[in-house]
Amino acid sequence: MTVDVRNDGVLVEGLSRRYGQIRALDGLNLNLERGITGLLGPNGAGKSTLMSVLATVNEPDTGQVSVFGLNPRNGGERVEIRRRLGYLPQELGYHRHFTVAAFLDYVAILKEIVGRRRRAEEVARVLALVGMERFGRRRIRGLSGGFRQRLAIAQALLGSPELLILDEPTAGLDTEQRLRFRELLSNLPGDPVIVLSTHQADDIAAICPRVVVMLDGQVRFAGTPAALAESAAGHVWTADQRNESAHLSWRDGDARWRHIGDHPPADHEAAKPTVEDGYLMLSQTKEA
Amino acid sequence: MSLVSTRAVIGLALVEASRLTRSILVLAGLVAGALMVWVLVYGSQPVWWNGSWAIGYGQTVVSMAVLIAAQFATGRAHRDGLAQLYDSFPSSAGRRTLAHLIGLAGAIPAALVLIGLATLVFELQGVLGTPELAALVAGILLVLAGGAIGVAIGTRFRHPLAGVLGGFVWFIPFSQSNRWTGSITWLFPWVKPDQLAGLPGPLTGYPPAAAHAVELAAILVLAGAIALAAVTVARRSRIGLVAVAAAAIATIVVTFTVQSQPVSTGDLNQLVSTVANPSSAQPCTISGEVQYCLYPAFDSKTASLRSPVNEVLAHVPAAAQSGRTLTISQYSGLSADDSTLTHGHSAQQVAAWQNQLLNAPANSPSSSTVYVNLGSWPTSGQQAADARFDLALGAAEWAVGLPTNTGAGAGTSTVAGPVSPQCVPLNQAREAVAIWLAAQAAELPPSPFQKSYRSLDNSEFAQVNGAIIVTWPYPGEDDEDGDYFASPGPQTTAAGYLLAQAMTKLPTAHVASVLSADWDNWTSARTTDTQLAAALGISMPAVPSGLLGPSGQVLTLPSTMIPPQSECTA
Repeated sequence: MTVDVRNDGVLVEGLSRRYGQIRALDGLNLNLERGITGLLGPNGAGKSTLMSVLATVNEPDTGQVSVFGLNPRNGGERVEIRRRLGYLPQELGYHRHFTVAAFLDYVAILKEIVGRRRRAEEVARVLALVGMERFGRRRIRGLSGGFRQRLAIAQALLGSPELLILDEPTAGLDTEQRLRFRELLSNLPGDPVIVLSTHQADDIAAICPRVVVMLDGQVRFAGTPAALAESAAGHVWTADQRNESAHLSWRDGDARWRHIGDHPPADHEAAKPTVEDGYLMLSQTKEA
Repeated sequence: MSLVSTRAVIGLALVEASRLTRSILVLAGLVAGALMVWVLVYGSQPVWWNGSWAIGYGQTVVSMAVLIAAQFATGRAHRDGLAQLYDSFPSSAGRRTLAHLIGLAGAIPAALVLIGLATLVFELQGVLGTPELAALVAGILLVLAGGAIGVAIGTRFRHPLAGVLGGFVWFIPFSQSNRWTGSITWLFPWVKPDQLAGLPGPLTGYPPAAAHAVELAAILVLAGAIALAAVTVARRSRIGLVAVAAAAIATIVVTFTVQSQPVSTGDLNQLVSTVANPSSAQPCTISGEVQYCLYPAFDSKTASLRSPVNEVLAHVPAAAQSGRTLTISQYSGLSADDSTLTHGHSAQQVAAWQNQLLNAPANSPSSSTVYVNLGSWPTSGQQAADARFDLALGAAEWAVGLPTNTGAGAGTSTVAGPVSPQCVPLNQAREAVAIWLAAQAAELPPSPFQKSYRSLDNSEFAQVNGAIIVTWPYPGEDDEDGDYFASPGPQTTAAGYLLAQAMTKLPTAHVASVLSADWDNWTSARTTDTQLAAALGISMPAVPSGLLGPSGQVLTLPSTMIPPQSECTA
């Protein structure tokens, strides 16, 4: 993939990272522009490693990263990146004994939002964004899993970051909350760079103008969701019977079989591919 | 560090300080520390030259609690699965650790509350002297040093048990410090020298509070440097921290050297002389036939001694007091054989001092002086009643002609003086008279008077003139909570107590009248209990005849089991 160097986005070149014998990132190149970029990939594809590198908490073995023109290997510039960053790791714990407001206030200080009044306003703002205005005094240990996830999203939004890295943020959210989350991300002011890792292809199709598919530590696809879907054109069909030659087959809501494969039968009925189909086709091609 | 980063560190420190101040652990440590101070000073006259160090001993518990709380706080992010998130913040691990260290200021209120509570209690008990500021500051530094050690542990070991374990390791030196003597003692984070409460006044440079405070400050800095070095990556910063740690270690060495300096020969000479020859250091005030001689620092306590003595003498005919003088004097059970105090001096010098102390007047028999133990009088609570009774009994024994001080050294825990057995007023009415007089001054109504006295449990005996008799251990005698006399008077007997007890049930005026009418007779060594009982119109109570067996039979003990004592004949 070719990339152009600009100061208003994130540029990744030749990024590699190993954990022992496991190659998590393998010469990865990527350009992330302002707006939402969806990150798809199976477990172990290197998505979380990539996000932790972008969040400056993990250093690559080789390769370079530029965030808004800043080099995270440089101590001063790394701090500057962190000042512009909102990060939601995949597995986030909680200070169970803190109240919701106290936790957010603490994170706000760590993000160098130092004015007491400004901090209070910021905490109130992000609580409102995730629909937890009335939960400020509640202890975190008393929150359900869904509300904890909302709190995790709220902390990432503190300080209106220019770079928002969200690793599976919708895990644990109910349907309504997922839809609200889509609305929330779509309406964030300032046009930040948002990297959204998820296993929910419909989330990506709904709100991401760009999508990146990662497989084996490499970028296998980068483009629009429509292009990803289109990449499966001619490989998706429906039929009354199951076709054994297809990579994947499942019965849809109309009780017909939907197939993804390389060789549709002559009498096939072509179906319009989705983002999910495109992603599945890519991953199946890789397996083949 | 930029202004924003500095403000963030301060903001974090404020949050951590606030959480530490409200920590249940720290509050529990405060309560336990306050209890420890209470246990240390309960039952003795509070004096600041001891109290300041006793408060520091209480601070050790607060320090332990702060250590654990600080370790919990420092390891919180890792323990709660937030380490990766925290690493993405502009506030680095080093700044967060710095904030935890600054946030230890949140433990200062607990340390100050402990000082305040102890001061309040001391003041209510009439504390003497002035607070030793350096010792009080050292106590606060002890708390902060414990916290810094907790932060240092928390940067490396996040499991809560690491803090608990660290707290106990920090506490072990305190609990074991009594196993060590000499200058090495001052290397311990805190020590409370045993004899401080028994000093007649503050001793210059002992304990070396200022140097010890600096040592604790150095430990605090060293722990802080270690904590920061554990999370600092930048080479220049690490070099700086190593330099700070080296300077702290050097300071610890220097302060230890300073603390190891012996107390000067001149100061110890003066101290030993003051204790061994109390008349040279105790100005006396005379009130009637009684003179009260106290060390200058205790001058304000004369009134508390007068009260029970006057109560006793009010029932003694003036003629019986005329021409005689009772002296109430203070005695310190100071021992030179305490290397925490006398380290650095030759064995010959220490032996000479010890010999001086053994020859103190309180260790010789007397029939006109009552020596009250310095540090034990006056006291409070139940013990106050015991102490008051003891002093009254001493005055009463003087009034009836019994010895006031047998020189037995029973009241001293540290002086292994020549033990001369107490004489026994065997079947002498004057013993019951003395006990009755003391009971009049005890300010206790009859029933508590009787209840408060130990029952005759047939467990204490004396051998006099070949016979074994049951004795009466009076309140406060060999009391584990405090010895009020340097040396007791005669051995009180069960017979004397039972007769006196029967006398307290009679109208006071009647008893006083009978006694006044023939005082010389009743205070004669030859007048018996039975004669006095008859004069009062009561029967002599039955006296236990010895050790009782399971079925109530009297057991006989081989006389070799009980050392013989002489009869009080003077």
